[in-house]
Amino acid sequence: MLRTAPGQQYAQATKRSWNVVVFSVGGMKLAARTEDVGGVSPWTESIPVPSRTPFVQAMLKQDNHVMPVYDLAARLSRTVQGDPLLCLLARHLDGPMAICIDADVPSLETVDATAIRPNGREDVETLGSVTIGEIDVAIVALQRLGRSRQDAVRSSKY
Amino acid sequence: MALPADGIRGVLTQAEAGNEQAVTAAGTVYQPVDLAQRLSVAADLSGLEMRTVLYSNGRTHGAIRVEQLVGLVDVERKDCLPLPPQFQRDERDWFGGMMLYHDQLVLILNPSWALGELAGVVPVSVGQAEQMGAATPAAIGGSC
Repeated sequence: MLRTAPGQQYAQATKRSWNVVVFSVGGMKLAARTEDVGGVSPWTESIPVPSRTPFVQAMLKQDNHVMPVYDLAARLSRTVQGDPLLCLLARHLDGPMAICIDADVPSLETVDATAIRPNGREDVETLGSVTIGEIDVAIVALQRLGRSRQDAVRSSKY
Repeated sequence: MALPADGIRGVLTQAEAGNEQAVTAAGTVYQPVDLAQRLSVAADLSGLEMRTVLYSNGRTHGAIRVEQLVGLVDVERKDCLPLPPQFQRDERDWFGGMMLYHDQLVLILNPSWALGELAGVVPVSVGQAEQMGAATPAAIGGSC
């Protein structure tokens, strides 16, 4: 029996469809690839850290682990909504990172890869946009959040 | 916050430190270090717990006023963690690392930076000892 190499299988799967987590920040719907999300949990109070890195000025302690907080709401000039707020754990290339999101419980969606289109957003790193429920939703590139913005189309291919 | 304790030369109360900015002790002049201002954080230095930490790395001597001195803590090397790489700017010079102390996050100050030395900004080295000091500094008796 022939078996597809795991890498090939993955590549083919990603070409066909993407599984995304849809969440909201300040009422703005956003998405992220499921593989870039480590989990969702209740938000707990973050610890301020003196810092000059934009949007990275706090840390969050979960059990015995401490991780930086990325203030995505501030970056998008929004204010998170609802109670209790939630924590989206981002699998960033530099290590896990916590993001405070709205209280709306995120949902899982499968989107056709061909429906993902480049977008011209400059307010946040994205992998493109997709229409979900008649709403244009940016797919946030959680892995490289806070890094220099790169070409969204190019990055969506990995 | 914490400071490696090997640089601590003394801890003075408000009465002992006096009202002068610089403090002279044992013939050494300790220049004032406004840690809160340098870190852009608010500090209430009017409380009874306020202390002046006389700190020296052998080259530079500073009088660091802190809200409270928590104490001396022995720190295992494995418990000293680097600042996550997502912190990318000046704070990497400010802090040599971090640790958990009584379930709280403690940032470990880089003594060279804290003393205002422009050169020789190096991460706090591991292995000098296993202790620490915190603005509310606790002192670590060694470094991460």
